[in-house]
Amino acid sequence: MNAITRRHFFGRAATGLGAAALWSLAGETAEAKGGLPGLPHFAPRAKRVIYLFQSGGPSQMELFDYKPRLKDFQGTDLPESIRQGQRLTQMSSAQASFPVVPSKFAFAQHGQSGAWVSELMPHTAKVADDLTFVKSTYTDAINHDPAVTFLQTGSQIAGRPSMGSWVVYGLGSETENLPAFVVMISPGSGGGGQPLYDRLWGAGFLPSRYQGVKFRSVGDPVLYLSNPEGFSGEQRRDYLDALAKLNQGTMDEFGDPEITTRIAQYEMAFRMQSSVPDLVDFSRESAATIESYGPDARKPGTYAYNCLLARRLAERGVRFIQLYHRDWDHHSGLPKGLPKMCLQTDQPTAALVADLKQRGMLDDTLVIWGGEFGRTVYCQGRLTPDDYGRDHHPRCFTVWMAGGGIKPGITLGATDDYCYNITDRPVHVYDLQATILNCLGVDHTRLTFKFKGRHFRLTDVGGNAVKEILRS
Amino acid sequence: MLWGGSLFAAAVSPVEFNRDVRPILSDRCYTCHGPDRASRKSPLRLDQEQSAHPALGRILERITSTDLSRRMPPAYMGRERLSNAEIDVLRRWIEQGGKYEPHWSLIPPKKTAPPEVREKAWPRNAIDSFVLARLEQEGIAHAPEADRATLIRRLSFDLTGLPPTPAETEAFTADRSPDAYEKLVDRLLASPRYAERMAIRWLEAARYADTNGYSNDGPRDMWRWRDWVIDAFRTNMPFDRFTVEQIAGDLLPNATVSQRVATAFNRNHRTSAEGGIVDEEFRLGYVGDRVETTSTVWLGTTIGCARCHDHKYDPYTQKEYYQLSAFFNNTPDRGFVYNFGNEPPYIYAPLPGQQAKLDALEAKVAAARQKVASLEPAVDRAYAAWTPPADWNVRDGLVTGQPRFDYKDPFTFAARITPKSPKGAILSIGEDYFEGKGHYLFLIDGKLRLHVTFRYSDLSLRVETADALPLAKTQHVLVTYDGGMRAKGVHMYVDGREMPLKVLFDYGIWPIENKEPLRIGAGGGLRWDGKIEDVRIYDRALSAREAALVAMTDAAARARTREAFLDLAPPPEYAAARAELQGLESRRAQLLATIPTVMVMEELPQRRDTFVLKRGAYDAPGEKVEPRTPAVLPPFQPNWPANRLGLARWLVDRGNPLTARVTVNRFWQMLWGVGLVKTVEDFGSQGEWPLHQELLDWLAVDFMDSGWDVKHIMKTMVMSAAYRQASKVTPQLLEKDPENRLLARGARFRLPAEMIRDQALAVSGLLVERVGGPSVKPYQPPGLWQELFGGKGYVADTGEGLYRRSLYTYWRRTVAPPAMMSFDSPSREVCVVREERTNTPLQALNLMDDTIYLEASRKLAERMVKGGGIDAGTRLVLGREPRAMERAVLEGALEKFRARYQAHPEDAVKYLSHGDSPRDRSIEPVELASWTGVASLLLNMDEAVTRQ
Repeated sequence: MNAITRRHFFGRAATGLGAAALWSLAGETAEAKGGLPGLPHFAPRAKRVIYLFQSGGPSQMELFDYKPRLKDFQGTDLPESIRQGQRLTQMSSAQASFPVVPSKFAFAQHGQSGAWVSELMPHTAKVADDLTFVKSTYTDAINHDPAVTFLQTGSQIAGRPSMGSWVVYGLGSETENLPAFVVMISPGSGGGGQPLYDRLWGAGFLPSRYQGVKFRSVGDPVLYLSNPEGFSGEQRRDYLDALAKLNQGTMDEFGDPEITTRIAQYEMAFRMQSSVPDLVDFSRESAATIESYGPDARKPGTYAYNCLLARRLAERGVRFIQLYHRDWDHHSGLPKGLPKMCLQTDQPTAALVADLKQRGMLDDTLVIWGGEFGRTVYCQGRLTPDDYGRDHHPRCFTVWMAGGGIKPGITLGATDDYCYNITDRPVHVYDLQATILNCLGVDHTRLTFKFKGRHFRLTDVGGNAVKEILRS
Repeated sequence: MLWGGSLFAAAVSPVEFNRDVRPILSDRCYTCHGPDRASRKSPLRLDQEQSAHPALGRILERITSTDLSRRMPPAYMGRERLSNAEIDVLRRWIEQGGKYEPHWSLIPPKKTAPPEVREKAWPRNAIDSFVLARLEQEGIAHAPEADRATLIRRLSFDLTGLPPTPAETEAFTADRSPDAYEKLVDRLLASPRYAERMAIRWLEAARYADTNGYSNDGPRDMWRWRDWVIDAFRTNMPFDRFTVEQIAGDLLPNATVSQRVATAFNRNHRTSAEGGIVDEEFRLGYVGDRVETTSTVWLGTTIGCARCHDHKYDPYTQKEYYQLSAFFNNTPDRGFVYNFGNEPPYIYAPLPGQQAKLDALEAKVAAARQKVASLEPAVDRAYAAWTPPADWNVRDGLVTGQPRFDYKDPFTFAARITPKSPKGAILSIGEDYFEGKGHYLFLIDGKLRLHVTFRYSDLSLRVETADALPLAKTQHVLVTYDGGMRAKGVHMYVDGREMPLKVLFDYGIWPIENKEPLRIGAGGGLRWDGKIEDVRIYDRALSAREAALVAMTDAAARARTREAFLDLAPPPEYAAARAELQGLESRRAQLLATIPTVMVMEELPQRRDTFVLKRGAYDAPGEKVEPRTPAVLPPFQPNWPANRLGLARWLVDRGNPLTARVTVNRFWQMLWGVGLVKTVEDFGSQGEWPLHQELLDWLAVDFMDSGWDVKHIMKTMVMSAAYRQASKVTPQLLEKDPENRLLARGARFRLPAEMIRDQALAVSGLLVERVGGPSVKPYQPPGLWQELFGGKGYVADTGEGLYRRSLYTYWRRTVAPPAMMSFDSPSREVCVVREERTNTPLQALNLMDDTIYLEASRKLAERMVKGGGIDAGTRLVLGREPRAMERAVLEGALEKFRARYQAHPEDAVKYLSHGDSPRDRSIEPVELASWTGVASLLLNMDEAVTRQ
């Protein structure tokens, strides 16, 4: 923003025209920060969330859930005593046999907490003491679309609000210049991966202003953000001044408060036009910081870039920052595919945690890493000496959490020697969601919205916050 | 927060159960004291009269208790204390005897006489009497009639979705005849645009889209159903017939193609082509979607809530949910669907011109067939005189080079085999392991087996003979496949005799694209032990007769057959006639390939059993149920068939208390922005009690009395004085009735997404009006599809496709058109009937910077420059003259833009470069660019995007 427009803007704000211009909170209420009265329900330990969603279902056996005994079982058929007739996807249910395949990758314990981390995640291993691993997460769904939808919206069927929408609906925004709920997507090592869907950050039946805003790597970071070619920022200011006068004229005649809101939303749009370019301008980041996120950090659209951007969004008060990294779906070719995915994500993820910590932001920022389900211990498809694949496995997978509200350095829950069933402290997706809300000072049973006659909530009729890992 | 009704009625005594009490009990108590048996926490039910129950007397004590362990609703469930106002209502209700009433929406509506009003001159029809009586009771004045310019713009948007032209506005303003308004209404209702406007809300309710919606979100073709909907509104099809044809058109006697197309309504739900899903789980999900959609759209009920348990608030049991679902559970469609187009069942739905061509061609084919048949005696004579050669075999379609087949290619594999082992590969064109990709003909456990595999686990076609073939015996095997992606298109023959088959896996629905060589006696990791002779591969499916011919062991006998004769030495006249027939048949096939298809409903010949599913889980069937409608609603007549047709008749039966009410309420919402019952999707216990129930009921009955005449009821609504009121609001009225539920003023609300875009197209002259047809792809920011899916992404149309009404915009459910979504369009994933409106900065950015609005601004600017300037622009966009202030502001802006572009003429050219349509070169760029900025301002005005 140049000096003239800045003066214009503040001048306008001071006269009150821009004063109501608050993002995402919306329009219709005069509430300063948006959000619901009475929220948070109790003192929040986290003010914001960065959710590093690893889409496709990363293999827990290769990454965090160390299973040394699998070497002994190699190539043997998964015993019925373990499988217990559990549901398989249609893909592997046609298989004649279920040969157990151990991880090709070595594990070691790290940090004071002694957390087991795979050699594929050397950087994550270095921040292991800041993380809390939940090895006993489980879900209801076994296919991607329903499972991601379930994790992000609390229902396998489309139509419910996403987690970020719920949070912003409940807690409002901390920024007046940026969307309160931002989504960023990066392609995996194969350039693709399982598809994602707008509904994952949609507002469902909540008003659509609560939907996540996708920050994009192609074209404008936010859709339609830039002034069109041939139309300068200075002109935009003149334009908006004129528009505000025109709309004020309509307001004077019709008295409809929606008109005042519209004036305010145009001002908000104008502020976004300058705050977003500032946000994505890394020129004032130190070289050391950028390098810590790895070689991709300067490349828009990569996971590393998005991690760094996530920190910058967090600094600016964005409430819910949702990253998706695609392509963890290793039905086949896992020994080659998985290391590539780790190479893309391990360093940036760890750098984000360290960066937040170093800036004192980890205390009130909740970071979550995980996918929509785990993977099977048995090989899917053709098992050869160098190659194997794993099918979807909803019965157990590892999610880690760090920062605001979470006790660091804990490993919670356990699975059996086959990494097939949970043997200790099951944590359902609803429990995970309840825990996230709890960190934000929200009782998940009391954040509800009435729709079609029912008081809906993110956790439907389930969920208990996982007290063991919550900082008191 | 109490619902709207009590805002105005709280002080009025006595308490009315439906209006005042039920909303509190339902929302706060029914979860545990309501219809759901399983979750009822005490014998006390509050959803129905239980006068003898002593606990009723203790309600007051419990709801006011300060002891948290005793207080109701219980704190341990996270429930808040009732408000004092709510407690007061319940106290007065109990004091007045605690009387229950049946839920209002379950009692059939009655047409009550419109009430007397003091201001007798105001009402124009019954609607106004109801509205005014209430206003007089509240002591609120109605608003004056809006001015003519406002009225025509309001009516044009409400009835046609497009703004009036300045000429139309001028004519209406000048028309002083007493019926000027009615003439306008009639003109708009007769416009084809009316049908398009009505259709889009129906499309949203029907979750219409151009893609499947789950996961890969592949394409489908349902636009012929959209054409049907538009046509139904255009011809003013009575709503009862509109209902019956969409729910059960296929079951009507001698169903027409059009009636079958109508049933696509229930195939519009999302479908999944995600590898590895369980077919039955998803298939039942689709059935559930049909129940949910049907009950929302026609009944305004949330019976979908009873899928996993009894309904918590309304009197529907889980069993009743599954009884209702049984109506929709009898179709042959599958859960795991084809990713690249329509999933069976579908039908050809020719366009009118195509139908005529097809009919003509069919007639020619029939004549040609006749001609061929008539030559048979001559053939017989020639055949008798023929000297056969020593050898002959079926030649047509024989593949001599490397065979290349994909999943939709027909083929025939044939060989003479002498197996020594019950397991081996006869031939293959695929990877050399058993679960590999490709085509395989095996002997497995002695049975002849065909694999056509993309991925063995889930995308493969596998069929085998029911019985084993004998070993060590020479026998001829022949397998045909018609390329229809279904196992039923496979036939197997042994020594020319067709064998009974067993289908092992039936999902050959994915391209194989394999480059493997033909292997004989090998493939799939198997080898052949024994003899293989006379391998023949055809690129078509041979007939049973041909299979028998190929199997013949005596070559000379085969060469003596009539087929050999017809192949080798047909009489010339016969050959010509046969060629003619073949030519016509291939022309017909070519024509058929251009005819659009649409997925439809179809009944299975044998009824599929429906079960109550425990917790809604597909694999936990409980009690078996029959198709039946819920007990609390009027009975299903015994003369109605117990199928979708009966269900449709029941929905539009006079005795049904819901359909007409729910339907007119949605129409009302289209004109007022909000329904008389705000919860248009829920007329149940948790829904809003209508402030104007008598009005709603009057409209519902009038609608039915008129023969479900949609144009009639729309006209009745817009003819009312209430509708014609000005929408200006005073601060006093705003405070008293912020949501305008009392209707003391005209409605003022932001235009729906599609109208905002369509208006910009219309006022700029870009709009291409053509009713119906396939979806089009207007501009979209680059990369939106790739981000989520990779691949080629979205390719926008060129030319007319950029400028059609938004109704025709290609709708990919998982990445819906961004400009539609930012203006609150439903995503079309599930049925949505409530109109929502938000007001966000993204909308501002969209309108200021999206290509189509920049292009529309430019074209609008050309119009302004060529004549009339600012006044012309205002007339086009706002339908009125500019105010002096507006003229001054716009002129000021124009001057600023001019100064800028004079200093930076290169920017002017750039600013004019947005959009595909050519710029008017007769206008100097600096001037046009400056005016384009002004035009954009007009299009961004609150008034421009609002109907008021």
